[in-house]
Amino acid sequence: MTRRSTRLALLLALGACTEQATAPGVCPDYCPGGQITVVDTTFTDMILGDSTFGHYREAYQGRGLPVADVPGLIDSRAVFAMVGAVPPRVTNRPSPDTTTVPITMDSARLRLNIIRRDTATKNLWVKVYRLSFGLDSTTTFAQLVPAFTDSIVDSVNVSALLASPQITDTATVRIWGDTIQTDSAGHVLQVGADSTLILFFDFDTTQARYVPTDSGKVAYGVRVSADTLGSISLGSLESDRSAALKWFFTYPDTNAAPVQASAERPSIFDTFVFSPPQPPVDSTLAVGGAPAARSLVRVKIPEILRDSADVVRATLILVPVGPVPGAPGDSFTVVAEPVISDLGAKSPLSTQTDFYGVKTIHLNVADTVRIEMTDLIRSWALDTSATTAFMLLQSAEAATYAQIRFYSTRTPAFRPALHITYVRRYAFGVP
Amino acid sequence: MTRVAIVLAALGLLALGAPAPARAQDSQFGVRGLGTPGRWESVRARATGGAFAPFDPFSPLLEASIADVRRVTVGVTGAASWRTVDFGSTSNSLRGTRFPAFVLGGPISSRAVLAVGFSTYLDKSFGISTRDTIDIRGAQEPVTDEVTSDGAVTDLRVALAARLHRTLALGFAVHGITGSTGVTAVRHFDDSTNYRTSTARDEVGYHGLGGSASALFDLTADLRLAAWVRSDTHLRADIRGRTVADDDLPFSFGGALRWRPGTEAVVAGAVAWRRWAGAGFNAHDTFNWSLGTELGSLTSPFRFGVRGGQLAFGPGPTAPTEFGISAGIGKQFSGGRGRLDFGLEHLQRKGGTGVTERVWTFLLGLTVRP
Repeated sequence: MTRRSTRLALLLALGACTEQATAPGVCPDYCPGGQITVVDTTFTDMILGDSTFGHYREAYQGRGLPVADVPGLIDSRAVFAMVGAVPPRVTNRPSPDTTTVPITMDSARLRLNIIRRDTATKNLWVKVYRLSFGLDSTTTFAQLVPAFTDSIVDSVNVSALLASPQITDTATVRIWGDTIQTDSAGHVLQVGADSTLILFFDFDTTQARYVPTDSGKVAYGVRVSADTLGSISLGSLESDRSAALKWFFTYPDTNAAPVQASAERPSIFDTFVFSPPQPPVDSTLAVGGAPAARSLVRVKIPEILRDSADVVRATLILVPVGPVPGAPGDSFTVVAEPVISDLGAKSPLSTQTDFYGVKTIHLNVADTVRIEMTDLIRSWALDTSATTAFMLLQSAEAATYAQIRFYSTRTPAFRPALHITYVRRYAFGVP
Repeated sequence: MTRVAIVLAALGLLALGAPAPARAQDSQFGVRGLGTPGRWESVRARATGGAFAPFDPFSPLLEASIADVRRVTVGVTGAASWRTVDFGSTSNSLRGTRFPAFVLGGPISSRAVLAVGFSTYLDKSFGISTRDTIDIRGAQEPVTDEVTSDGAVTDLRVALAARLHRTLALGFAVHGITGSTGVTAVRHFDDSTNYRTSTARDEVGYHGLGGSASALFDLTADLRLAAWVRSDTHLRADIRGRTVADDDLPFSFGGALRWRPGTEAVVAGAVAWRRWAGAGFNAHDTFNWSLGTELGSLTSPFRFGVRGGQLAFGPGPTAPTEFGISAGIGKQFSGGRGRLDFGLEHLQRKGGTGVTERVWTFLLGLTVRP
């Protein structure tokens, strides 16, 4: 035997180490005796307990200010107050001379950011009202009704602005930083990179009243109207897109000639009020709204899922008490987030977003809500030490008036349930 | 051949089998049964269709044959197979490697010889993939299932043989039947957005016992007769300490005749019966025969063989059949202290529902007498 043949044999043998042992099966004659069996069951008793807790986030803490006017369903209005700090007198001489001269207010420019709107809205009007400065978190819709009735300071047809031609000349772009659209009343619209609409209103001194003793503290409210789908959201302090007011004024220089100046002041407080008011928490499972409510749902994993099954799909079934009233076309998102430990209202939420169940809720629709929670239920079936509870909450809490309510375990016929599809444990070892 | 080459060959064989004693299903017919029974044959015996196995001390079939091992010797067998399975109009190609036999033996007294080793008792490595559509939640969902098993049941043998007379040798052995398989069952859903893949894994352990006895009797100087009998008890399958199956193992017996018509020619024939029918679902009693020859000098012989018979497992009332031809060569080196054997075997198996399996197997064996 030659050395070459020995090497050839070894190469052949080692080369054959690559395995290909899997072949399409011809069942049942040439397949193992076991079967992969799928079972599909709705467990109505897996959810043992549930509770609703309110006031997680107030309206003034939301990342948006919903403004809607749907007669008979919802009337939501944004309100905001601007910090004053525009002194009635300024110095016009170099330091250390502290001699001051009075300012003369000329005008002001209000900037609003529309962060959400329905592009199908027709004839959308945004109306600005002057409010008294004393806004706070306890301000109610009813308290502001008079001001919203007789104190309108300006209004603009946003649909018309959007339809107007863009002004693209270099002089305009240099002043505004981008192209603009404008109307005959001087309203200016810019479209931001993220499709946000930036709306500018020019106010004269009657629209923007500068009271020297208040240093320019003002408050405004915003309503909308439209032929259809009259619903928008304004940016808020929490989203860093709050309304701002820029004051333009003059003061005399040392030769009594007027010097032009300006001072921009952001909102110091913003919130929204709406009617009809949100009903108090009851025996149902409330999620969202303003103030924001959350519902804690406790789950017991049955033994069959722990020992002898592999969950392949799990769907949470929630039956709404009724449709969520609001502007047609509006929606919000409900999220089911697992809790790290069950401490009731103060249960800390898991940051493991893979386990979140997410569902978009459309307003004015009463369909049963189904939230896919496969990964979470699978992990609970495998981990006996895990806290098997989750919190239902609204994504971007307190950014909408909409609150959904589901039947709880206290209503047996419509109680929450889990629709679970699982694979039975395979019968290994049996020919 | 140098010592380096011998060591390389030995290492190559060990590398071939080291990952697992048996890793590829020898036959699709064993999937729906206890497995595929192994061949207790060295490369030399297998190249002769198995006919030389009763007379070959390094084929773990018969104990009496080790009575003539007068120095400590080790023999290992490796095999690589390429298999084609035809299910009617569809055909699939499979390949795998095995390490089916190892024997270490040597004298413990002037008459008695002790041998230990292992061989594949049941090969339980396979993979099955199937497609189906099932109804879930009121919708038709296409799925793909994969069931795989990786492992084998091994026959650990301790054998004692003695030549009681110039013409008679006897042997006895006890067999520990043990092994394990790593098994997985996976279901993939085409709709992977809504349905997660289900994976089940486990380890199945197997246990059993057996005993065997055999004899070699020289009728004349050129004619040797072999007879053997073996009884195995039960094969118990355990998963995490819980017995999930308990199947009867066969009672087996067989005989063989070897004739040496000249100094460079040997002819042998063998038959074997195994009562597998009690071994659960799809099991059948089997009868197998083989005929083979070894031609040429002892240092570099040529071998040819033919075999036929039945397979132990397969669907239907009758056992699948098997027919094979084989050939091989051997080469002694280092003054007879070592031997490399090569073999090539082609098998064709036929079973119910029109299934035909064709297997090419390349065999490599090494026998070393330090």
